Amino acid sequence: MKHAIEITNLRYRYVDGTQALRGVSLRVAPGECVGLLGPNGSGKSTLLLHLNGILPEKLVADGTLRIQGEAIRAENLENVRRQVGVLFQDPDDQLFCATVAEDVAFGPQQLGLSDAEIKTRVEACLARVGLEHHAHRATHHLSHGEKRRACLAGVLACEPTILVLDEPTSGLDPRGRREFKALLRTIPATKLIATHDLELVVELCPRAIVLDHGLIVADGPTLELLSNEELMLAHGLERPHMLEHVHPHAGREMQRR
Amino acid sequence: MHIPDGFIDAKTAVAAASLSVAGVGLALRQVRKELPPRRAPLLGLSAAFLFAAQMLNFPVAGGTSGHLLGGVLVAALLGPAAAVVVLTTVLIVQCFLFADGGVLALGANVFNMALLGTLGGWAIFRAVSSCLPTLRGQVTALAFAGWCSTVLASLACAGQLAWSGTVAWSVAFPAMAGVHMLIGVGEGVISALVFLAIARTRPDLASGAGPDLASLRTRGFIGFGLIVSLGLAIFVAPFSSPWPDGLEAVAAKLDLEHKAGDSFLPAPASGYSMPGLKSPAVATAAAGAVGALVVFGLALLLGRALVPAPGPSGREPAPTNGINAN
Amino acid sequence: MNLLGQQPAQRQSPIHRLPAGLKLGVALTLILGTALMPTERLAWLAGVAALLVIVALLSRISPWFLLQRLLMLSPFVVSVALANTFQPAARASWREVAVRGVLCLATVILVSNTTPFSELLRVLRQMRVPALLITTLALMLRYLFVLADETQRMRRARASRTFARGRGVAWRTLATVAGQLFIRASERAERIYDAMCARGWK
Repeated sequence: MKHAIEITNLRYRYVDGTQALRGVSLRVAPGECVGLLGPNGSGKSTLLLHLNGILPEKLVADGTLRIQGEAIRAENLENVRRQVGVLFQDPDDQLFCATVAEDVAFGPQQLGLSDAEIKTRVEACLARVGLEHHAHRATHHLSHGEKRRACLAGVLACEPTILVLDEPTSGLDPRGRREFKALLRTIPATKLIATHDLELVVELCPRAIVLDHGLIVADGPTLELLSNEELMLAHGLERPHMLEHVHPHAGREMQRR
Repeated sequence: MHIPDGFIDAKTAVAAASLSVAGVGLALRQVRKELPPRRAPLLGLSAAFLFAAQMLNFPVAGGTSGHLLGGVLVAALLGPAAAVVVLTTVLIVQCFLFADGGVLALGANVFNMALLGTLGGWAIFRAVSSCLPTLRGQVTALAFAGWCSTVLASLACAGQLAWSGTVAWSVAFPAMAGVHMLIGVGEGVISALVFLAIARTRPDLASGAGPDLASLRTRGFIGFGLIVSLGLAIFVAPFSSPWPDGLEAVAAKLDLEHKAGDSFLPAPASGYSMPGLKSPAVATAAAGAVGALVVFGLALLLGRALVPAPGPSGREPAPTNGINAN
Repeated sequence: MNLLGQQPAQRQSPIHRLPAGLKLGVALTLILGTALMPTERLAWLAGVAALLVIVALLSRISPWFLLQRLLMLSPFVVSVALANTFQPAARASWREVAVRGVLCLATVILVSNTTPFSELLRVLRQMRVPALLITTLALMLRYLFVLADETQRMRRARASRTFARGRGVAWRTLATVAGQLFIRASERAERIYDAMCARGWK
């Protein structure tokens, strides 16, 4: 079985000398939804930036990282970026076009689709995230939650098979969070979500990975990991209170909201 | 200094626009060739930065405040060609969105501020900072170059107004040059302070765009030099003719009454001449040179005040307010 | 938001709905004509003024807003007037200059407040303006407000912790804010580049 993401002993050091990743290994199967936890500075964002070839600055196809079985090289970089959709931490960095529709159309345009196809995709993706009436709004007029949804639409417009999200719910109000989580649930792609939102991990991700100081310190079923108070506290996290009220089948109950 | 529409005539607008199109076109070609793709968004972001920075009011006195134009600052950070593009972008947006500067006059404004001011200022910055290569030297160079860029731009502006017949040179020149010699001090000081703030936090950003952009290829250098010189020749030179009766000849051609006795404004016109020098143009140049030397001296003092001397001996005390202490 | 003195909301009006190319073309013609027409042709100037008044009414732009922006011209007019008093036979009287200036300025204000800038950029692109300049303009506009917001937040944060008075302190603080702004802009530019590449930009 080809893994969607296969990482073997990945290391990365920043220009200023910081060793951000010290040998990370993990495998994600197609369709899985995995939560990536860890304190600030643990290397989560750095790890995510490797998944679509933004890092390392000089690509080395040495097999440390494989997407759908293929190492990332300059030749297949375009293909990798189509398959792996990345949602960045700051929506303002990602929404670089003047209007919502233009921004969502950016990906399809780069893929060389026809105008008609682009239009269809833009409309479909905006509808999926609930922004169909906001197509012509200026990006800087959107609320934080709307910006995040617009970013998601822009990424979905490329039809990725793997979705990588960096702190998708940070800064959202409770309703925004609920809506975004519901949205993520409807997306069938393989998902790797880096987040501090422990509730999100409990609700959406059957499997969780804890990263600290550039190394994976835990990898297993979410409830098991998150119930381990010692583990959580040792790595800058905590045992979420909701676990007190969560039945092992909680995921399904939460869906019924 | 943004000239609105209606203040310059057709020939001035066309001449300035032609020079600007050539200059900006050259800058775009230069940037495309030499800017690494990774830095492409930096042009737009720097333009946004300049705009936002121009909103900052540096208090002067009684409600007035200084502002940054930023041409030389951006040139020091990104290189001259990129700075031309960035300043042009800012001017275009100011013109269309904020009606700051006329549409027909855009060519003139771009020439004055994005080309003459920026490139002239940058050339001076490079010349001075290559003689004083320390951080302190760079701060001094930037302060002086900032002042020069403002004054240069104002000269061309005065020339354009005079050539259009809107305001006579004998009034426009002292007014514009005088005012902008003062405003230029603000530009120089602010540019130097901001540069220093950047250099202290991210020295890699302040060391310029690297060898690829910090120096101009010969063709670019010649091209820009030609355009700027041509502009000066058209807008400024006719009025600064070395011949003693040059001013009168030009005034007669423009059909303006220009008799020193009739003028209400004896002081500025003659205030620029120095005792013993008969030709008004040479006297003006000499006065200007003295002014520039004075400003250069001030820039040296500023550099000393802001940047402590390197090395253990003769160490000057660092600024005590702690704001820039990183 | 009105931070940059823009018309608060894009209202809809017949003028808003006109195609950008048409509005630009007409505006340019008006400005060219007004700035370059000899003053004897009062009919032209009067005609332009009448047209502008009609457009202003149709576009539902607040007259107070319009007046405010037009008043920005006054320093220039005053300067020319002053200069003229010292040059009584100057070719252009301050009155002429004022009239031309006001008409041209009003044209630009009306066009820019009834046309989204992205439309203007589209017209520029059609006119074969170099792509690098267009991208720079587009990005500048997109991030103008982001950076303006950041500036405001930084100023407020600094003001909350500034107890000393004096210009020297104020200038240093402002310079630090400006410096920070550039650094943040620079870092954001890199992240934007990454985001563009992530969606296939080459």
